[in-house]
Amino acid sequence: MEIFPAMLSVITDPTLLFAIVLAAAVGMIVGATPGLTASAAIAMLLPITFYMPPLFALAFLYVIGKSGRYGGSIAAILFNTPGTAASAATQIDGYPLARAGKAGKAMKVATISSVIGDLMGDILLVVGVGFIAAIALKLGPPETFAIYFAAFVVIGSVIGNSITKGLASALLGILIAMIGLDPISSEERYTFGSFDLSNGIGLVPLMIGVFVLGEVFAQMESRHKATGDVEENESEGDGNALTWEEYKPCLPHALRGGFIGAGIGVLPGLGSAIAAFISYGEGKRRAKNPEKWGKGALEGVAAPESANNAVSGPSMAPLLTLGIPGSTIGAILLGVFLIHGIQVGPTLFLTDKELVYQLFASGMLGIVAYGIIGYFGATQVAKLILKIPTNVLYPLIFLTAFVASYSARGSMFDVTVMTVAGFGGWLMRKYDFNIAACVISFVLAKGAEETFRQSLLMSDGGALIFIERPVALGFLLLGVIAIALRVRGIMKERKLAQGGLGDA
Amino acid sequence: MRAYAEGLVLTAISLVALWGAWQVPGATPGDTWAGIVPFSASLALLALSGLMILGASQQTAMGEDKTDHTATFEIIGLFLIALVYQQSFRWFGYLLPTAVVAPIVLYTFGVRSWIGLALSVVICPLVFHVIFFELLGVFPPFGEVFDLLDWIRG
Repeated sequence: MEIFPAMLSVITDPTLLFAIVLAAAVGMIVGATPGLTASAAIAMLLPITFYMPPLFALAFLYVIGKSGRYGGSIAAILFNTPGTAASAATQIDGYPLARAGKAGKAMKVATISSVIGDLMGDILLVVGVGFIAAIALKLGPPETFAIYFAAFVVIGSVIGNSITKGLASALLGILIAMIGLDPISSEERYTFGSFDLSNGIGLVPLMIGVFVLGEVFAQMESRHKATGDVEENESEGDGNALTWEEYKPCLPHALRGGFIGAGIGVLPGLGSAIAAFISYGEGKRRAKNPEKWGKGALEGVAAPESANNAVSGPSMAPLLTLGIPGSTIGAILLGVFLIHGIQVGPTLFLTDKELVYQLFASGMLGIVAYGIIGYFGATQVAKLILKIPTNVLYPLIFLTAFVASYSARGSMFDVTVMTVAGFGGWLMRKYDFNIAACVISFVLAKGAEETFRQSLLMSDGGALIFIERPVALGFLLLGVIAIALRVRGIMKERKLAQGGLGDA
Repeated sequence: MRAYAEGLVLTAISLVALWGAWQVPGATPGDTWAGIVPFSASLALLALSGLMILGASQQTAMGEDKTDHTATFEIIGLFLIALVYQQSFRWFGYLLPTAVVAPIVLYTFGVRSWIGLALSVVICPLVFHVIFFELLGVFPPFGEVFDLLDWIRG
C-alpha cells in the first residue's frame, strides 16, 4: 500500500514530473536511434545526476532505461534496424507491417503492448519486492555468496554465444574490481605501486568508457560496413489508425508476454532480448494464425514488445533486495544509489522505504509518459531521428565522454580509466566477449568477496559451510545446472547445424 | 588462428593476474588472505584460457577472416587521439585541447564542411565548458603548461 502515498508525492512535485516526462522523451529518442543505447545515455548522464537529489537522479535515469527499451521498437518497425537487442524480435513482424503501409498501426500496437507489459512488471515488482526483501534479510553470508556465485555463472554463461568467453568476461570484471586496497585488511592489490590505482577503478568512468566511448569506436567501425541510408516507411491510408477490434486479438499475447517478461526479469542477467524472443515463440505456438507470424501479424508485435518491457520492473527486485543488478542499466543505477550514499540490499526497505516506493511510482508515471508520447508522436520521433546527422552526433558523444568522466570526481585518472575502458570495451565487442557480464561482475565482485570471506571466517576457513547450508547449496547447484543446461543447448544447436549441413 | 590468439592473450592476462595476486601479503592470524579472490579468479581465468586454446587446436581451418583493416586502423587512430586528448587536459586545461580535438574528430567521422569544422573550434569547448564547469559547478582541470581559461580570465 506504500505505493499510493508515494504516487501522490510524485504527482504533486511538478519538477519531478517534468523530469519524468523529459526522461521519457530522451529515452525514446536514444532507444530509437540505431547504435545508441539507453545504457550509453544513462552512463553519459550519470555525472550530471551527482548534482541532483537522489530521487530526482534515480527517477530520471530509471525512466530513461524504461523508455529506451520501448524506443527500440520505433527503429525496429520503421527502419528495420532494432534500436536495442530487445527489439530485434519486434522487427520480425513490425517491419513487414511497415512495408505494407501499416507503420502507424504497428507502432500503436507496440506502444500499447509496451505499456501493458511494463505496468504489469512494475505492479508485480511493487507486490513482490517487500516479500523478497523480507526473505533476503534472513540470509547469512554463505547464502548471499551462493546467490552471487549463481549470478556470476548465469550472467557469464547464458548471455552471448560462447560460455567460455562469457565466463572469462565475468572473471575479467572480477579482477578489475580487485584493483585497489582490500576493504578488510587494507592490503594493496594490483596497484603496482601507483597511488591512483590504490583508490580502485571507479564505476562511473568504467561505465562511460565501455558503453559510451566503446560505442563511438564501434560506430566508427560500422561506418565501413554501412550499406546505404536508412529510410522511414510511411503509413498509407488507414495504416495509421488502430481499432479495438484490431487490438483485441493482441491483448492475450500482451498479457502473456507481460508475465513471461516479469518472470525472466527477476533472474539476473537474462535480460529483455531473451524475454522478447521467448514471448514471440510462445505467442506463435499458441496463435490462431501462426502462418501470418513473420509476415506482418500485429500479434507478433504485441508479444515481444510486452515481454521486453515487462523485464524492466522485476529486474529491480534483485538489485534493490540483494544488491545484484540483473542488467547493465541496473548496474548503473546501483552506482547512483552508492554515489548518493544509499546502501542497496535488504536493509534498504528499512532505511529508505519511502524513496524506493517513490522510485517505483516515478517508473509507473514514466510508463504513462512514454505511452502517451509514443502513441501520438512515435512517427514524429522517427522523423527527428532521421534528421540527426550521425557524423556530428558521435564526435559530440566522444567529447561528452571525456568531460562527463572527469566531472564524476574531478579526477584526471578517471578520464584515463574511461579512455582505456572504451578501447577495451570495443576490443571485447569485436572479439565476441561479453561486456554486460564483465560490467555486472565488476559491480558484484566486492559484495561477493565480502560475503565469501565472512563465510570463511564463520567456518574457521572451511569451504564446507557452503555445502552444509541447504539454501547456499541450492544456489551453488543452480549455477552448475545453468552451465550444464547451456552446454546441452549449445551441443543440440551444433548437432542440428551439422545435420542441416549433412542434408545440404 | 584468431582463437589461438584470444586464448594466448587470456593466458597472458591470467598469468599477470596470478603473479599480482601472489604479491599480496599473507593474512594475519584470524583473518582471511586478501589475495584469495584475485588468486582464485586468475586461476579460473587460466583454466578457461587453457580450454580456449584446446578448443582452438581442435578447430578445423575454416578459412581466414576477412577483417576490415582500414576500420581497425581508424579506430586505433581515434584511440590515440583519445589518449593524447585526455593527457593534454593535464598540460593545457580543458578549453585548448577540446578546441583542437573537436574538428579532428568531426573530420574523422566524415564532416567536410570547413565552416562547420571552424565553428566547432569555438562552439564545442564553449558549450561543454558552460554546461559542466559553469552550470554544474565542476572545477575545471588546470593546465600545468598553459591554461587558456586562466589566460581568458586574465
